Amino acid sequence: MSAITIPSPTDVQTASPARRLLSVLPGMALLFGIGLLGKLLEHSQTLLHARYPQIAVPHIEYVLWAIVLGLIIGNTIGVRDVFRPGVATYELWLKLGIVLVGGKFLLQDVLHIGGLSLALVAVELVLSISVMTLLRRIFYLPPKLTSLLAIGSSICGVTAIMAAQGAIEPEEEDTSTAIAAILTLGAIALFTFPAIGHILHMSQQGYGMWAGLAVDNTAESLVTGALYGDEAGRWTVLAKTARSSFIGFVVLAYAVYWSSRGLAPDVPHKGLFLWHKFPKFILGFIALSILATAGFFTHGQLTSLSNLSRWAFLPAFAGVGLRTNLRDLVGQGWRPLIVGILGEIFIALVTLTLVYWSYNHGVAR
Amino acid sequence: MAHLNHTRSAAGRINGARSLNIDLIAIGIGLTLAALIRFNILPSISF
Repeated sequence: MSAITIPSPTDVQTASPARRLLSVLPGMALLFGIGLLGKLLEHSQTLLHARYPQIAVPHIEYVLWAIVLGLIIGNTIGVRDVFRPGVATYELWLKLGIVLVGGKFLLQDVLHIGGLSLALVAVELVLSISVMTLLRRIFYLPPKLTSLLAIGSSICGVTAIMAAQGAIEPEEEDTSTAIAAILTLGAIALFTFPAIGHILHMSQQGYGMWAGLAVDNTAESLVTGALYGDEAGRWTVLAKTARSSFIGFVVLAYAVYWSSRGLAPDVPHKGLFLWHKFPKFILGFIALSILATAGFFTHGQLTSLSNLSRWAFLPAFAGVGLRTNLRDLVGQGWRPLIVGILGEIFIALVTLTLVYWSYNHGVAR
Repeated sequence: MAHLNHTRSAAGRINGARSLNIDLIAIGIGLTLAALIRFNILPSISF
């Protein structure tokens, strides 16, 4: 199952660059094909509604179409081997979209909302790690699996778990289980968060912040935000990016903890460790934000940049649907899933409260 | 056990290198596209 496959040293590509490029083309065509089909379906719906206004058809955004089409393909006929390398490029499209969306934010917004996100993440971190530790005792989960679930649910989903893998050296089964739980919970968030946002009449910014702070995996988080609206999607990018920048600190804390117990290697150069774990694509996001703030782009050029980011997100959203395996919902053992679900519900409520508090007390604007 | 630890550490390093590559490619493509738009080499893009 692709979603929980852990790359091993043997996965290193030794083929020539031209051959590697050729190998990703079918999967990339599949990603863009699904995304474009989603856009086409949304457009057809709009035309249909304009022509027959008397027929009440719910408007479904291209984001949801892309995910649903990906889910159907991934869970029925499956993703053939020839498509897999290209489908894996969804991560590149996702990061490219995030870099490009940096142009939509003035640096002062990045500093203000990013700083607010960091403060909220710090609170979220302490609470989620405490709750996960408590749940571990109740459900008798292995301690390193709990560490992985806490890292994944408090910071950045799969990326954080993979970053922790080399540092705390858990059993491979624990890593797979933690990743499967995080991805499963992300899939659930895709459909529950927008509904909750609408029920609570949340603003685009408030909802975007919430999705960025509460949904773990970057891809699912961004889709959850975009499903509520374009503006919400952009705020989700900002909140999630700020949250992701914490990866190094949390993984380092766990590495030092397990190392002190003699169950993981020592971390000799902590500064270097932090730099290695820092997600570098965030620097591209900040660079474009600085250029936009300095007036490097005209208004029309910023709109083009924003539209380019939406084109980049299109295949990424299709990739989220394709790699979500619904069979994993039941195939990973009930205890990690229950712990994950309880932890996630707690985090969702805490972050919702924190976001509401921030907006009602003038901390956010 | 030592071999297993070594293998895991190697896997961690390779994952890190792959992630770094993707990050750098994303930054490179993003900044290049931004420059092409800034200097009007790319036409205005709609969605």
